[in-house]
Amino acid sequence: MVRPVFGRVSVTRRAAPARADRAARVAHLDRDRALVEAAQLDPTRFDALYRRYLAQVYSYAYYELGDHHDAEDATERTFLAALTNLSRFEERARPADGEGASTFRVWLFQIARNTIANQRRGRRRRPAAPLDAAALVADPLDLEGRAAVRDEAAAAWNAVGRLPADRRRALVLRFVEEMSTAEIAGILGRSEGAVRVLIHRALRTVARDLGEGDGARGSRR
Amino acid sequence: MPLDRDASTADALLTDLYLDAVLAGRSFRGEVGLDAGIGTAGSTPDPAPSGRLDPAVRAVSDRLRHDLVRVHPSFRFEERLATRLAEAAIVLRVPAAVGAEGHVVPFRSPSRRPVGGPDGTAAAMDADHLPAGIETGLDIDRRDLARPLLIGGALTSAALSLAGAALVAWRRARPGSPMARAARAVRDAHDAATGGPGHRLPFDTRRFD
Repeated sequence: MVRPVFGRVSVTRRAAPARADRAARVAHLDRDRALVEAAQLDPTRFDALYRRYLAQVYSYAYYELGDHHDAEDATERTFLAALTNLSRFEERARPADGEGASTFRVWLFQIARNTIANQRRGRRRRPAAPLDAAALVADPLDLEGRAAVRDEAAAAWNAVGRLPADRRRALVLRFVEEMSTAEIAGILGRSEGAVRVLIHRALRTVARDLGEGDGARGSRR
Repeated sequence: MPLDRDASTADALLTDLYLDAVLAGRSFRGEVGLDAGIGTAGSTPDPAPSGRLDPAVRAVSDRLRHDLVRVHPSFRFEERLATRLAEAAIVLRVPAAVGAEGHVVPFRSPSRRPVGGPDGTAAAMDADHLPAGIETGLDIDRRDLARPLLIGGALTSAALSLAGAALVAWRRARPGSPMARAARAVRDAHDAATGGPGHRLPFDTRRFD
C-alpha cells in the first residue's frame, strides 16, 4: 500500500532542485484538484467542496467541543476561513501519495484544528460526553437493545473524551473521519511514526478504561 | 530504552496495519507474528517487528469502529451556512477596482448663458466665424448637456475640451491689438519696398488708411 506523505519537507529535500519534483506534483491529480481549481477561479463554486466536507468538519468539531452549537460555530468559521484563503492554498500531493490523496482535506482540517483550538481557549471548557449522538447508533425498534448499545457507545465516547488532546484528536481522525496516518500527521504536524504511536497508546488507554481484552467484552461484536 | 522504543514502534505499526484493514473493510490475516509475517489482505506482508497484535487493542479497535460514528449537522444549518458562503463568494469574486467606487451622476444643465456676452449676440456671431469642428464644440446653447458623466477623468477631459474651445473662439473673434496691427503694417511696407515674398497688393495697404 502506497502511503501518502504530507509531513514537513526535510532540509535535504528542500535544498534539492525542485523543478522535477514540482512537475511531478503538477502532473498528479489530487482527488479534489478539479474542485479546488474551479473554486480558486470562481469562489462561487466553493459550494461543491463545502458539501463534500461539511459533515466531516462538523463531526470533528463536535467530537472536539462536545456541543452542537459550538460545533456549528467552529464549522462556520472553518469554511469561511477556507473560502477566504483558498487562493493561497497550494496542492502538495505527489504521485507517490496515492490515488485518494487530498491535501485540500488536510489543509481544511488544519484550519478546523486551529479554529477549534481558539474556540476552546476562549471558553475553557472540557468536551462534554455527546450522549445524544450516541443514541443514533442504536436500532430504533429495539428498545432494550437500544438502551444497552447507547450505554456502551456513551462509555466509549466518554473514554475517548478522557484521553489527552493529541491522542483524542488522532483517534477521532482515524476512526470517525477514516483518515490515513499520513493525513493525520499532516493535520497534527507530526511524523507518521509519531501518529502511529499516538494512536496505539490511545487504543491501549481506552481498552484499559473500558476493560476490553480481559474476556468480558472482547467478543461482544 | 531503545529496545522498548523499538517494540513500541513495532506494535504501533502492527496496530496501524490492522486499522488500515478494518477501516477499509478488509479482513486482517489473523494472529500474525514473527513467523507468519504481518500484512493486510491484498498487500505484501511486512516483516513482523515484534509479536502479535494486542488482543485488547484489537477488541477496542473493533468497538470504536462501531461506536465512534460520524455526526451530521442539521439540514437547516447546512443551508444557512451555504447561503452565507455564497454571499461571501460573490464578494470575493468581484473585487473593487480602482475608481469602481464612483457612480454615474447627471451633468448639471447650464443656465443657457451665452458665452460671448450677456445678450447672446456675440456668441452667435463668434460661432459663425469658427471652423465647423470648433463651432460644434462651442454651440453650448443648442446642446443638451444633461448627459451622465462618470465622476473622475471623464469629467475633467470634458471640462478641458470646453475651456480650450472657448479660448480658441475668443482669440479668433477678438480683433488684433494696436501693437499687432503696427507690426503687420511695418512688415507689409517692408515687403512692398523690397518686393519680398510677403509683398502685399496696394488694396491691402490701404486697409489702414
